[in-house]
Amino acid sequence: MLRILKDYLFVVFVIASAAAAIIPLFHILFSVFYNGIPVLAKYGMEFLTDTLPPPNKAGGGIFPAIYGSLTMILLSSLLGIPLAVFAGVFIAEYPNNPLSRAARVVLMIMLEFPTILVGLFVMAIVVIPMGTFSAIAGAMALTIVMLPYVATYTEQAIRSVPRHYKEAGYALGLKKFRVVFSITLKMAKKGFMTGLLIGVAKVSGETAPLIFTAGNVWRSTGALNEPAGAIPLWIYYLVQQPYANYHEIAWGAAVVLLTIFLAIFLPGRLMVRS
Amino acid sequence: MDKFKIFLIPFISVVFGILVLMLAVFAINSIPIFQREGLAIYTENVWIASETPEEERYGILAAIYGTLYTSLIAVLIVLPISIGFSIFVVDFVPERLKEAFIIPTDIMAGMPTILFGIWGIFLLAPFLSGIADFLYNTCSFIPLFSYYNPTGFSYLTAGVLLAIMVLPFASSLIREAYRAIPVVYREAAYSLGLTRFEVAKILLGYIKPAILAATLLAFGRAVGETVAVSLVIGNAFNINPSLFAPGYTISSLIANQFGNAFVYEYMPSALFSAGLALFAIGLVVNIVGLLVLRRWTYA
Repeated sequence: MLRILKDYLFVVFVIASAAAAIIPLFHILFSVFYNGIPVLAKYGMEFLTDTLPPPNKAGGGIFPAIYGSLTMILLSSLLGIPLAVFAGVFIAEYPNNPLSRAARVVLMIMLEFPTILVGLFVMAIVVIPMGTFSAIAGAMALTIVMLPYVATYTEQAIRSVPRHYKEAGYALGLKKFRVVFSITLKMAKKGFMTGLLIGVAKVSGETAPLIFTAGNVWRSTGALNEPAGAIPLWIYYLVQQPYANYHEIAWGAAVVLLTIFLAIFLPGRLMVRS
Repeated sequence: MDKFKIFLIPFISVVFGILVLMLAVFAINSIPIFQREGLAIYTENVWIASETPEEERYGILAAIYGTLYTSLIAVLIVLPISIGFSIFVVDFVPERLKEAFIIPTDIMAGMPTILFGIWGIFLLAPFLSGIADFLYNTCSFIPLFSYYNPTGFSYLTAGVLLAIMVLPFASSLIREAYRAIPVVYREAAYSLGLTRFEVAKILLGYIKPAILAATLLAFGRAVGETVAVSLVIGNAFNINPSLFAPGYTISSLIANQFGNAFVYEYMPSALFSAGLALFAIGLVVNIVGLLVLRRWTYA
């Protein structure tokens, strides 16, 4: 009897914890849309093309933030993807090299690393010498955040390709470079693309590494060597302001951010069949 | 050595270079404050910023305390829930529906943290403030609930928000480990006529190391989280046992104070040394977590 009672309690516990795990997650997604979509409807297309209005004035938009986010995501992808892919190729191709063994540990540590420290680091080595916050500094911080994701996924993707395909390539007399980039990476395209997309998606939503690198501005000239805004940064600062219309804009920006994130992340995630 | 390898070496070196350089930057920039205060920077709770360098005095004990306190709250919430949730997904959900539970948690694991922040500041904090008021009025004799006039910006709010943020990560580690237990063990246990509870208890015994690793790695993530926490922790130099008291964490201290730090002589250095402490805590927790996980995967 006691055993059955315990089993019953156990089932209750399992279902309750599933609910406790799922409900907050859905509540967050739901409340971003619930609070944000009316804002987008109210502000119209200008929300994407206009600049921040004065406090308690109607209208306005988040264009400088969108522009800043897109330029920094693009720039960090240009810097980070080649770097990470080549590093990943090295680890996969020379798995027993001491450099590779150590790099694997370093990448795992970087994956778990507090991103605010990345921001502080880039500030010390880029922002202070340059004398100003800039989109370039922001992009460099994002590059460091992206690197471990793309590198580890690339490594795993390459290692999943059976050896004899590579051997067939060598038998044709191909150079190692050609074998890796024309055969192995092509065959491992799916895992490789997943890594890219997850890395870029992750970076698109980062706030902490940008606070002391991009600096944040409400209006920008668009120059890369000047301070830049970003959607997450804007949300971070807007919610700390006392004005109701800034809170509204923050919710609207949250929907835009979530949409960008999902548009990059979901294709990557759905490619993985677990 | 082949050409290809020589071509790749610079790239792999950059990966190392970044970590080494990072450690160096934090260490070097911390030197001025160590020379001035010694280890007192980590053992005192003071924050006196002054235009005259002689009067400046910094101690980040409150932030270290807040970091450990909020991360502990998060882990204590996450551990039972993610074990229960893993059992639910593996044992209770039919195979075809599993993905429907796994994909949302994966999305949440990678979701921009600022979205947790905006939800935390506008929805979670007011909600928990109501609960805090009630608990203060009814059981303020318990130190945990003893903070007068709770605002909702507190260790508890930060801890709960962190729990929600690290849960997808912790539960995916535990779930994958639980799922990987060979079916024969499960069948053997059921064939003895054991109840679901007894079977789960036995099976969980097999994956103890994975649970330990998940706990450590979740703690490591909670320690490093910045923006969401800094919006709900209340940002006060406070060392208080009460769940409802406002506080600071190391990362929220850095996020909040660095903007104007360069006006003062020693504040940048004090904040770099705070970063160094965060670096150290994160590194130790994560390395131990990864070692536990690795030893278990290869065993």
